[in-house]
Amino acid sequence: MTATSPTALRLVKWAVATSLLVAAMTPLAAKPAAAQADAALTPAEQIYADLAKLPTAERQQRIEEGAKKEGALNFIHTWRGKLARDHVAMFQKRYPFLKLDFNDMGSQDAGERLVAEEVAGRHLTDVVSMAVPDLVDILNKNLIAKYPTPVTTDKILPQYKGFSDPQNRWVTFYWSEFGITYNTDLVPAGHEPKGWDDLCKPEFKGHVSYDPPTVRFLVGIWTMMGEDKAKAWMKCVGQNKPIVQRGHTQRMELMIAGDHWVQGENYMYTCYEKLAKDPKTPCKGVFSAPILGVGGAIVINKNTQHPYTSALFADWTLSEESQVYTGKNFRGPVGVKHPFIPDGTNIFAYGIVPDDVLDNSLKYWDEYVTKVN
Amino acid sequence: MSEQTAGAGPSRLKTFVTAWTTGWDWRRLILVALVLMLVYQVVVPFGMIAWTSFKTARPGDASFLDLDFTLANYVRAFGTPRFWSATWSTLAFSTASTFVAFTIGAFLAWVIERTNTPLARLVGILLVGRIIIPGILITISWILIASPNIGLLNHLGLWLTGVRNIFNVYSFWGMVWVHSIEMVPLTYLLLAAAFQAMDPSLEEASTMTGAGVWRTLRRISMPLALPAAGAAVLLLFITTIETFEVPLLMGGRAGIRVYATEIFFNTSRTPTDWGISATYAMAMTVMSIILLVVYFRLIRHSERYQTITGKGYRPRRIDLGRWRYVTSALSLLMVFIITGVPFLMMLYVSFLPVYLPPSMRAFQSMSLVNYTAMLEDPAEALIPMWNSTLLGLGTATVVVLVVSAIAYFVHKTKIPGRKALDFLAFSSIALPSVVLGAAFLWFYLLVPIPVIGTLTIIGLAYLTKYMPFALRFVSSSMVQIHSELEEAAQVAGVPWRKNFFRIFLPLLKPGLLAAWFWVMVHAYRELTVALMLARSQNRTASVVIYYLWENGSFMQLSAFGVLIFILLIALVTASHFISKRYGVKEQY
Repeated sequence: MTATSPTALRLVKWAVATSLLVAAMTPLAAKPAAAQADAALTPAEQIYADLAKLPTAERQQRIEEGAKKEGALNFIHTWRGKLARDHVAMFQKRYPFLKLDFNDMGSQDAGERLVAEEVAGRHLTDVVSMAVPDLVDILNKNLIAKYPTPVTTDKILPQYKGFSDPQNRWVTFYWSEFGITYNTDLVPAGHEPKGWDDLCKPEFKGHVSYDPPTVRFLVGIWTMMGEDKAKAWMKCVGQNKPIVQRGHTQRMELMIAGDHWVQGENYMYTCYEKLAKDPKTPCKGVFSAPILGVGGAIVINKNTQHPYTSALFADWTLSEESQVYTGKNFRGPVGVKHPFIPDGTNIFAYGIVPDDVLDNSLKYWDEYVTKVN
Repeated sequence: MSEQTAGAGPSRLKTFVTAWTTGWDWRRLILVALVLMLVYQVVVPFGMIAWTSFKTARPGDASFLDLDFTLANYVRAFGTPRFWSATWSTLAFSTASTFVAFTIGAFLAWVIERTNTPLARLVGILLVGRIIIPGILITISWILIASPNIGLLNHLGLWLTGVRNIFNVYSFWGMVWVHSIEMVPLTYLLLAAAFQAMDPSLEEASTMTGAGVWRTLRRISMPLALPAAGAAVLLLFITTIETFEVPLLMGGRAGIRVYATEIFFNTSRTPTDWGISATYAMAMTVMSIILLVVYFRLIRHSERYQTITGKGYRPRRIDLGRWRYVTSALSLLMVFIITGVPFLMMLYVSFLPVYLPPSMRAFQSMSLVNYTAMLEDPAEALIPMWNSTLLGLGTATVVVLVVSAIAYFVHKTKIPGRKALDFLAFSSIALPSVVLGAAFLWFYLLVPIPVIGTLTIIGLAYLTKYMPFALRFVSSSMVQIHSELEEAAQVAGVPWRKNFFRIFLPLLKPGLLAAWFWVMVHAYRELTVALMLARSQNRTASVVIYYLWENGSFMQLSAFGVLIFILLIALVTASHFISKRYGVKEQY
């Protein structure tokens, strides 16, 4: 008996495997096309269009009555753990008649989850909270309901209006800040970096850390600096022996512990959260360099099964209690004063970027900074 | 040669068809059920990944399900230096880690299971208890122990020698070290079962002919453990190809990117590049299949390794004489490095508000705040822990039952096509967890079976994920059981089912227990698949751990790690006493 399988047997195996695979996938092949072909307003979108015509008080009353009838909401929060749970608990306390089912996961994962469900024709999720630059895919797939709401005009402070969407595809309720932070024990006062270009200076060679690719940050840098300057900046960062390590929080912990001097790219709140717990924590943010601001938004599934409750939640995120909670937890509120960024700081707000910005910023970051040694 | 093959084809096909169309019995029915189950559990997700690798459209795009395929992803992947660099790094990292882990693990397994070394049982418990500590915690612990500037060892080195940064964990060998010692318990578990099932009469015969302990070890014990050793090497190698935490947290800084990190980065961008990720997964699959073929060739004469026969089976420990104190000291030192050092680091960190190297300021800032924070919201932690417990116990039991049947058919029957079972069950080892999780999510979104949001969907994915590992545990024990036992049972008219449950399963007990324990613990702490499939009602403990890490609480996470480590050590100790009372005490 030889070890070689007979050809016929191999063919049988191949045919069985292939037919099973095709059998599993074929009956459902029509669904994506059906989902995309639907250009008419969905019931939820129609409701939102009708609500937009009502006076504010009547609109609010209609939403609350509708939510009472629906009685439930399934949503994904991009905040994690206790931060998300306590936020949701406040909403639940305000509207105790609702049965809330929420998951917390990363913004990109949330987007993938929504796409997967909708493409399969399973309308399981009503609302998703996501970072605005991560919305590209679900916008391209036309999965989001336009939701015009007066709260975005009434509640968002003027300096944060740039995070809003004129087309009402999302409701921004917080923003995240990418900026430079440094270890105050290792970088003497007066020698800290003042701007993004300072990260290329020889005195910081081998002392500045970055994540391998944080897409949200890279597209922000690219958009703020423009193609030529962004490429030049990435190149000089790459030549200055960057510390490339995964994990924003972990890098902050390491920097505070004295592992390295500067965070070239990180959420600044990770530093200020720690300072709030222990004022002796040796870290500080650089506010002389423009801060990259990314909106965090609520988007409503155009096929939501609970359109009124989704609207209620989207509006509530801009309520005072929600905004104060956001600020207390060092996320950037848009309706009240920021917890640590001084007034007058240059904030560069950006949102959806063209595909070529995404592709090029990643490409050049890979080429110059995270290149395989 | 070609004539032989050409002539053998129709003849083998005829044999195959005849064998499958006559003599249906229970055994045949179970085999068919297993094949169908494997097709469902393995071929379908694997097919989806293969499909994706030949598509430029993403899942969800209208053209994704069209029957037009392209090699664009392969051209894109293989045409870049990055792919070949990642291939080289993956192979080098896997080879080095496998070598180090196997050497240490084999030594410890031999000392613990086959010798009269004092405190060997304690070493075994500490080694096995180590498995429960999440890999992410161990990796971060080693970063704090041996990284430049802040590493404890470097502080010590500076104090002793005046030289800065003697150690650098962010290097190829740093990665190899941290990952190797992560895999030592796996090596121990894989080899322990084989060492327990070794026939002592062969070693006694060797000793009687004048061969010393070391010669007997080299000439008798080690060759007899070849199937288990081969399985261990195979699993260690493939586990390393797939491993994630160490390359992710250390590789970036060491300038080393492997397949697993390439897949991670391609699935963490928006939109996810599923095509290129699936292509990397296919490359991993090819590597794994090559290794599996080598392994099968290695053990093709399985009767050579049959040590459990009908002539009496009573494992005995080797008397090392005065050397036993040396082996005791060495194994205690190793287990201290593997388990003790990272555990002590975790314990230290768990009392700190922010990480500080040991100093007066650090000790002054210590408190129990991280422990009290863990217990602040018990419902949030308890439900996921209960979910993980159910998943761990359920997955381990189902997986062990399934792979026992598979191993039986593969190694103890002559049914044509049986090796396909092994290939099917084993091939899923090459599926990266992130891709496996995505495949299951997509599949159950498309197929109207209501398992989304339940523990069942995670359990089904775990069945696919852990079958290959458990299969190697059980297979290497199965080949040690001589066929004469079954032949005797057949002559005596004992039905197959009775023979399987009364003879094979009890004899396989060490391998089954090792496989069960390994799967249980890994299913308990598995993260990537659970994260992909988690919803509010089926969240597991590892998902909570991940969120703690994401939220920046390594200190709190350490407190959690300390608690579960203590809990597991208590469980392992209890299970040891229980197994001693009711189980395998006859071996000692």
